Amino acid sequence: MTADRSFHIPEDRHYQREHHLWAKPDADTGNVRVGIDAIGLESLGELAYVALKDVGTQVARGESIGTLEAAKMTTNIVAPISGTITGRNDAVLADPLIVNTDSYDRGWLVEIAATDWDADAATLVSGAAIPKWVAAAAARFESEPGAD
Amino acid sequence: MAWRFLAAAGVSAHQGLAGDEVLVREVGVGRSPPTLKLYTYRPHCALVGRFQDVDNEIRLSFCDEHDVQVSRRPTGGGAILMGPDQLGVALALRGRGDRHGRPRELMARFSDGLSRALRHFGIDAAFRGKNDLEVAGRKIAGLGIYRDPSGGLLFHASLLVDLDVELMTNVLRSPFEQNTERELRVVARRTTTVREWCRGVVMADVQAKVAESFASSFGVAIEPSRLSSDEENSIETLATEKYRSDEWVSCRGDVRDAAGSASIDTSAGTLDVHVALAGRMLKAVHIRGDFFADDDAIADLEWKLRWHSCEDSGVEATVRAWARTHPGTDISPGAVTEAILSATAAAFAVEPPYGCFVSPGGVDT
Repeated sequence: MTADRSFHIPEDRHYQREHHLWAKPDADTGNVRVGIDAIGLESLGELAYVALKDVGTQVARGESIGTLEAAKMTTNIVAPISGTITGRNDAVLADPLIVNTDSYDRGWLVEIAATDWDADAATLVSGAAIPKWVAAAAARFESEPGAD
Repeated sequence: MAWRFLAAAGVSAHQGLAGDEVLVREVGVGRSPPTLKLYTYRPHCALVGRFQDVDNEIRLSFCDEHDVQVSRRPTGGGAILMGPDQLGVALALRGRGDRHGRPRELMARFSDGLSRALRHFGIDAAFRGKNDLEVAGRKIAGLGIYRDPSGGLLFHASLLVDLDVELMTNVLRSPFEQNTERELRVVARRTTTVREWCRGVVMADVQAKVAESFASSFGVAIEPSRLSSDEENSIETLATEKYRSDEWVSCRGDVRDAAGSASIDTSAGTLDVHVALAGRMLKAVHIRGDFFADDDAIADLEWKLRWHSCEDSGVEATVRAWARTHPGTDISPGAVTEAILSATAAAFAVEPPYGCFVSPGGVDT
């Protein structure tokens, strides 16, 4: 990671490396909270609109769980794990900028009751692999002319 | 791999948008080759952005009376008017690697095909900001990128070969009660067209140059082709079930739209500001008044405040940075900031629905 561009990536959760989503199981309920990581937000800019699929919707890993429009582009939000949506963050739907200001706590998007968390978690970046992954992402940003 | 090239003219709003979505999906899953589609819409179609409130953006009664079709794009940005003189560009490719990565770079990369084509007509266009292709600070094309869950990547653009500004301001809502001559001039000054720079050019020539320039920019061959029967069937189904449906066209999000105005007297003259907000995000700011300022300077500030947080400190910082680059403007940055924040406060104080707005360029994609 360079001094010019650093990303806050907490090591207490798992990350979907391509879509830059985080996933964190809740110790009490077992449901997995999902949100956007700092690298994803760097690319998207400030969020203007978010739409999320309804509670009760079954999703497979890689399927869309919603869409968002940010300062820089419109994109689908892709499920990092398979399961059933058990909760949506209504505060974020009404005020998407919460994601930009507090992406790892108040800015979560959905909760999913995972079908097979262990199998899905194995596809995500976690633990000791995080620093290397973040460093690679930061280096890529630094190497791209015009990135902002 | 060679790209497939499709051309179409006079498509309906529903067929055009469904066609783009089917293409990106089929290309994304690998059933269809990368495809460049260049097309025009029937006269006329009003297309709102993915999350816009259609009632707030479009004069639906005018559209009903004048046979203007209305639908909603999968891409973001503002409402646009499309017809025989606006070239639609849809480039469907398979997405690779980092799915959130580098939208600005992707946009610049994709817009190069359009810039090259415009250079052929003596027009020096450059990519700016989120989704604009501009000529000397005036918008000539709106750009958008949409990623499909299939992995397909859709680059979408609307190129102004010509533009009926009066019709556009009749179709798209404006913050102003009347479309006065002055407001029409303001909109006209902030947009430009291919024909303004290259009189008499016909759409077919523009289309041919755009196709040639995309091929050159990406270093690929393009092969004129047509849709498969499966694609045609899928487009027909999607046009009926989605893009023609009231559920899609009139869907509303949870983010509250609002608009407000403020007028303050300064030593340099009266300053009138109108803002349109999506939640806490400034979607558009319109600045008018009888102070002295270069129109381009005001347009630049309006552009800088599009898709900008309405937080006080951020607005103030942006206005002060703008003022440093436009030292000849009479009005003080403090007064401009005060007027914007007052208009924002007024927007939060009123209940929706509101009379809505036209983005400064009016041609977002």
